[in-house]
Amino acid sequence: MERRDFFKVAAVTGATAALDGCGKPENQLIRFIPEEDLAPGAAEWKPSICTMCPAGCGLMVKVMEGDAEVVRNGKLGLIKMGLAKKLEGNPNHPINQGKLCPRGQAGLQVTYHPDRIRHPLKRTGPRGSGQYQEISWEEAIKELASQLSSLRTANQTGSLAFLTRPLRGQRRELIERFLSALGAPPAVTIEAFDDAVLRRADLLSFGHAQLPTYDLARSNYVVVFGADFLGTWNSPVAQSVAYGEMRQGRPGVRSKFVMIESRMSQTGANADEWIPARPGTEGVLALGLAHVLLQELIRPSADTARAIALIQGWAEGLQDYTPQAVEKGTGVPAATVIRIAHEMISHQPALAIIGGAPLAQTNSLFAAFAVNALNALLGNVGKRGGIFFTPQPAQASRQNSLSTASDQGSLAALHRFLDPLLQSSPAAAKALLTYDANPVFAGPPGLRVREALENIPFIASFDSFIDETSILADLVLPDHSPLESWLDDTPESGTASTTISLALPAVRPLHNTRAMPDVLLDVAHQLGANLHAALPWKTFDEMLHDAYGGLDNAKRAGDPNADWDKMKEQGGWWSTEPQKPAAPAHPISQSAVSLAQPEFDGDEKDFPFHFLPFASQMLLDGSLAHLPWMQETPDPTSTAMWSSWVEINPKAAERLGIKQGDLVEVASQHGKLQAPALISPGIAPDVVAMPVGQGHENFTRYASGRGANPFSILAPMVVNETGSLAWAATRVKITRVGKGKLILFAGGMHEGPQETERR
Amino acid sequence: MAIKWGMVIDLDRCTGCEACVVACRAENNIPTAGADQAARERAIHWIRVERYWEGEFPDVRLRFRPVLCQQCEAAPCEAVCPTYASHHTSEGLNAQIYNRCIGTRYCGNACPYTVRFFNFYNPVWEKPFHLQLNPDVSIREVGVMEKCTFCIQRIQAAEIQAEAENRELKDGEFTTACAQSCPPKALVFGDLNDPASEAARLSRSNRGTKLLGELGTKPAVTYLEPESWEG
Repeated sequence: MERRDFFKVAAVTGATAALDGCGKPENQLIRFIPEEDLAPGAAEWKPSICTMCPAGCGLMVKVMEGDAEVVRNGKLGLIKMGLAKKLEGNPNHPINQGKLCPRGQAGLQVTYHPDRIRHPLKRTGPRGSGQYQEISWEEAIKELASQLSSLRTANQTGSLAFLTRPLRGQRRELIERFLSALGAPPAVTIEAFDDAVLRRADLLSFGHAQLPTYDLARSNYVVVFGADFLGTWNSPVAQSVAYGEMRQGRPGVRSKFVMIESRMSQTGANADEWIPARPGTEGVLALGLAHVLLQELIRPSADTARAIALIQGWAEGLQDYTPQAVEKGTGVPAATVIRIAHEMISHQPALAIIGGAPLAQTNSLFAAFAVNALNALLGNVGKRGGIFFTPQPAQASRQNSLSTASDQGSLAALHRFLDPLLQSSPAAAKALLTYDANPVFAGPPGLRVREALENIPFIASFDSFIDETSILADLVLPDHSPLESWLDDTPESGTASTTISLALPAVRPLHNTRAMPDVLLDVAHQLGANLHAALPWKTFDEMLHDAYGGLDNAKRAGDPNADWDKMKEQGGWWSTEPQKPAAPAHPISQSAVSLAQPEFDGDEKDFPFHFLPFASQMLLDGSLAHLPWMQETPDPTSTAMWSSWVEINPKAAERLGIKQGDLVEVASQHGKLQAPALISPGIAPDVVAMPVGQGHENFTRYASGRGANPFSILAPMVVNETGSLAWAATRVKITRVGKGKLILFAGGMHEGPQETERR
Repeated sequence: MAIKWGMVIDLDRCTGCEACVVACRAENNIPTAGADQAARERAIHWIRVERYWEGEFPDVRLRFRPVLCQQCEAAPCEAVCPTYASHHTSEGLNAQIYNRCIGTRYCGNACPYTVRFFNFYNPVWEKPFHLQLNPDVSIREVGVMEKCTFCIQRIQAAEIQAEAENRELKDGEFTTACAQSCPPKALVFGDLNDPASEAARLSRSNRGTKLLGELGTKPAVTYLEPESWEG
């Protein structure tokens, strides 16, 4: 007998003794036997995928045996099971190369959160009251199937809606197949900081509707327009790894990094030169640089003609963008424009990046075209030290159109979904399924999201937490946490290698939850023939095996790592060499654009400040506000914890009689909020900034009722061409209300009010 | 030669992202204080990222500096401890023996880097957060001081493994939680007495400085000052 088997027998015997006199112990025994082959005290490392943001980093999960109180077979008991103890980056993964950001490190707290939904729920009180009763999975699935089935009987499956966070890979494929087989419209994807503008610009300029991958490690000069690429934007870990190399990875070579933004971000703090430009004028500055480059007889190569052709006046040498004109428009001195352009010429490869606030103005598409044209002029596309597009594996999705994220703004899609509900039109949704999307929190007030959702007769949610949106659900079918799930991903950016990430559950489910894909498959089978044909798999892992296992060696050019078992072991498959992306899609006709002035909501006289919400390094768009590790990690630039704050320039604050920590009211034409003021030297005098993330009404004990939500005062301004929310186009006024409370982490930094309060 | 553990922090690579801060929290069972206690400066961070503003808008700079226990060779915290809870190990660590500590907080007062933290209350992990706790790191109770250990549990595991395999420790075969997570590879941990180790090599850089080096504490942490761009 093996030693381990002996222990199992011993455990059973002991358990039998313990259960004497409790009915039929043999039915319950199973829960006392260790569920996995783990040696006490020894760690197993299992691959997984980080889902805290859309970058798709590879994880290694440290799993150790531990005792957990869990409900099994309806009874509470203590069992030995594998528990996730620590997350590290997967050293072999091409995106993050063994590294992780602070949000990724906190992924553990999602699984072990005390306020996770532990079992299916059915609403008992009025909608939104949060009163639920526990039901069984059989009841829950039956209820969902019968709701969908009655929609079908009434010939109304077209009025089924699905709201989700951005998804890729087979989860997305499954949802799309489910909806299309039912005759329902495609899922509506919600992304608070929507990158649709850049995807659209990249599609028109370069033929790829994707966020780019930047070869920072080999570039010699980087000009960044607003993108928080070391903090929250695009693929921050991949970009930070490359940044380290760009600074100190090459003996004798150190790139220059120029940041252009109106409020110093964590990323901007690392710049060699920091240049504030007027909000909404970034495109003008990019073309000003291009103007100087053209004068120095720099000429684009033929293969990037498309990007250039999108800019009006290019052939004439961009005469509207002389350094003097740029100074007038942007506030950046003409001499600076000329100097930076010359530095770019003498330090090639020189790269330009745009993201964040410059892409959240009404004229954002123009700005994105301008930066793309600048990159095209510098010969950066597909070149060393330039821009790459991550090749999308053909297997990633059966329907090619789904393999990349949307280039259509999520606000426009939300409008199409919400407006009929508000107008009580017959086209309004009659049933809604939601998955990890919180539009009630992230939607600007003009959308009236909550009011619209309340008009939907039936709402079911797959969320793991009650938040402002899932609290409206009639039925909650809680998903496993990511570490408990089968996962797959095909990253949009962050590497030049073709990448498929794949992961088995790293740990067993702690609660009575079920994987969302498995629930959908179950429901599909209950709904019968045509759904069953579209989704023939019994469980999600069968679907994954079908998608990625069947094309082993032959299709991946004899790479032995392409094997299904090998994929499971190493966390996926990726090409060892960088690969070229598929040829660009055929050109979409788009006429050249000329300078578009940004529009702002609110008169400059009554609303003197630009309002700049920004993604929080810890809480991101608010979806991580429920994690105490994130709440208690000081914000990098302000050191604030557990709170909201409003950043204001010292001179502006003095003029308004506002001191550090004072409670101020920030009012737009669409709403107002209150938060403590943080006097910051790194912000323009006509801008106030506020981190997104706090201000949740309902989002676990750690986030509820804490701080204020800047989304709640945004004007419904849109990026004209894509219908994305122009979240940086609202103007506000500021008034002091009284004394407030700022929670700052002083640490060893002896400065500000903390020091005077010290002993 | 005996091992001397040390670290190099390249401020030219550091982006201030705070991955190290959360990695340390996860590895070392550091409790969260909550908003009220945090407002009373009772939040515990074995490593923090300090930030310093310079200049006025628009000529403004912001600099980051990760600060953890400097594992001083001449540590002011050790000499003042009446119970020898704070002591020096043979491998150069300023170690803290929690069950010897009687909470005088002398060490915290003596430390010029303010990297020692007092437990003002018993830590609480609301269930089932406790399931994540690292079994290799003890939990500190009310009344004791705690601080960065250079992930001594990882050091010991690696040393035991090497001994079992009858070999020397290899440079880079393990590292601290903060260094392992650090995306731009700003933190490098290793044996400073092994001249070939990455940490020893980097610590000889002409950019190297010691934090408050003039105090004579002889820190085992070397900071590499950021370079400025020269076209």
